[in-house]
Amino acid sequence: MEMNWAAAVDSIPILNKAALLTLELTAGAVAIGLVIGLFMALARLSKLKIVRALAIAYIDFFRGTPLLVQIFLVYFLVPRLLHWDTLPDNYQYLAGVLAMGLNSGAYIAEIFRAGIQSIDRGQTEAARSLGMNQSQSLRYVVLPQAFKRVIPPLGNEFIALLKDSSLLSIIAIQELFYSGKIIAGRTFQPIPMYLTVALYYLLMTQLISQWVAYMERRMGKNDLR
Amino acid sequence: MIYVKNLYKSYGKLEVLKGINCHISEQEVVVVIGPSGSGKSTFLRCLNKLEEATSGEIIVDGIVLNSEANVNAVRREVGMVFQRFNLFPHMTALQNVVLAPEIVRKTPKKEAETIGLELLAKVGLSDKADEYPDRLSGGQQQRVAIARALAMKPKIMLFDETTSALDPEMVGEVLAVMKDLAREGMTMVVVTHEMGFAREVGDRVIFMDEGIIMEEGEPNEVFAHPKNSRTQAFLSKIL
Ligand SMILES: Nc1ncnc2c1ncn2[C@@H]1O[C@H](COP(=O)(O)OP(=O)(O)OP(=O)(O)O)[C@@H](O)[C@H]1O
Ligand SMILES: [Mg+2]
Repeated sequence: MEMNWAAAVDSIPILNKAALLTLELTAGAVAIGLVIGLFMALARLSKLKIVRALAIAYIDFFRGTPLLVQIFLVYFLVPRLLHWDTLPDNYQYLAGVLAMGLNSGAYIAEIFRAGIQSIDRGQTEAARSLGMNQSQSLRYVVLPQAFKRVIPPLGNEFIALLKDSSLLSIIAIQELFYSGKIIAGRTFQPIPMYLTVALYYLLMTQLISQWVAYMERRMGKNDLR
Repeated sequence: MIYVKNLYKSYGKLEVLKGINCHISEQEVVVVIGPSGSGKSTFLRCLNKLEEATSGEIIVDGIVLNSEANVNAVRREVGMVFQRFNLFPHMTALQNVVLAPEIVRKTPKKEAETIGLELLAKVGLSDKADEYPDRLSGGQQQRVAIARALAMKPKIMLFDETTSALDPEMVGEVLAVMKDLAREGMTMVVVTHEMGFAREVGDRVIFMDEGIIMEEGEPNEVFAHPKNSRTQAFLSKIL
């Protein structure tokens, strides 16, 4: 069979839309992941053993099982837990973003934990000796410094997340990979199609890398440590 | 001002403080000396509960250090300066100084900044208010750290080897600030190896060894006529 790029070129408008959806799904997951990650990191560092144990259980579960399985689990579990008889329109997007967010929350928790622990104990001691309570010292002294250090690993996590969003095709979300696959099947031109899809992913991951590098430069300006 | 009764502190099996008793009066400058590992830092850090005592009683400015609320209350009254400065690297000198007054004492920003600038002037750093710590020398950083502690208007200041991490030429500028404070009547507990400082501004020197107070007294008296053989051995090495 001959390779024909015309189909790939024709599909660019569709792929643009699908790529945008991929970005949106990833952004949604990142937002959920950051919030969960921060709370789980703090829970993981809690003085209370039970809180710590819960955080560890959460982190281990989401890092120790395949995302694919988690996507299905969330997809079927949420309506069950909420006693929905019928699924709302476009329910798959909700389930997909939620599953990815829960998953990335576990990874981001570990990134935040490492960042917080990398801050010298003397910083907390200085803050506490000035009369700040634990949450004030965390908020004004430790976290601002930790955030700077976690930017590079967070960037890697965002990139991984963007690529993993292709797994959402399994619950019929028409993100980039899903759209490419449909068009490849319809046009019988899998190689140009998947190469084009790969190029789209590459461009988007490059974009994230650049943005991370920019943030790192900007935040590192006043702090050479 | 500070009462310490039967203070014991262990790290696991290692007993570091073995029954410290002392009383520090208002406006008194107490210098703590002793060999490395004798428990000087641990003692100091128990006074504002950065370390949890194993047993014993500590009363600071009439507040018993037992509940969490009391500990925070005491910490507001007790400033501490560390060997390694511990400035907040993501903030300018002035921001370092105004942070705690703003969020702990709820001092309005303008007012806190006015006080902050006054304090930076007091430690001779008016021109460095907007510099970040990594642009300051060790001596300058330590002076900012002193200004930062003073911004909370503490009644007591604790100094833990505040000049040990400095290059020799910067020791003087930090000691000068500490001497000024002492003359103004600040109650101070100072762990140091600077015997000149102890002589000049110390009202009392405490010699600690192996977790207890071996000897204490008026500095010139203790340095000239140490009674305890341990004190004698220690002083002969450093004087
Ligand atoms: N967090 C800790 N965990 C375990 N042991 C500790 C801890 N902090 C201090 N120690 C031990 O307690 C003993 C006393 O330490 P401390 O720092 O109070 O001595 P110091 O008199 O201040 O000594 P230096 O002059 O070296 O500063 C030392 O043996 C030290 O190793
Ligand atoms: Mg020490």
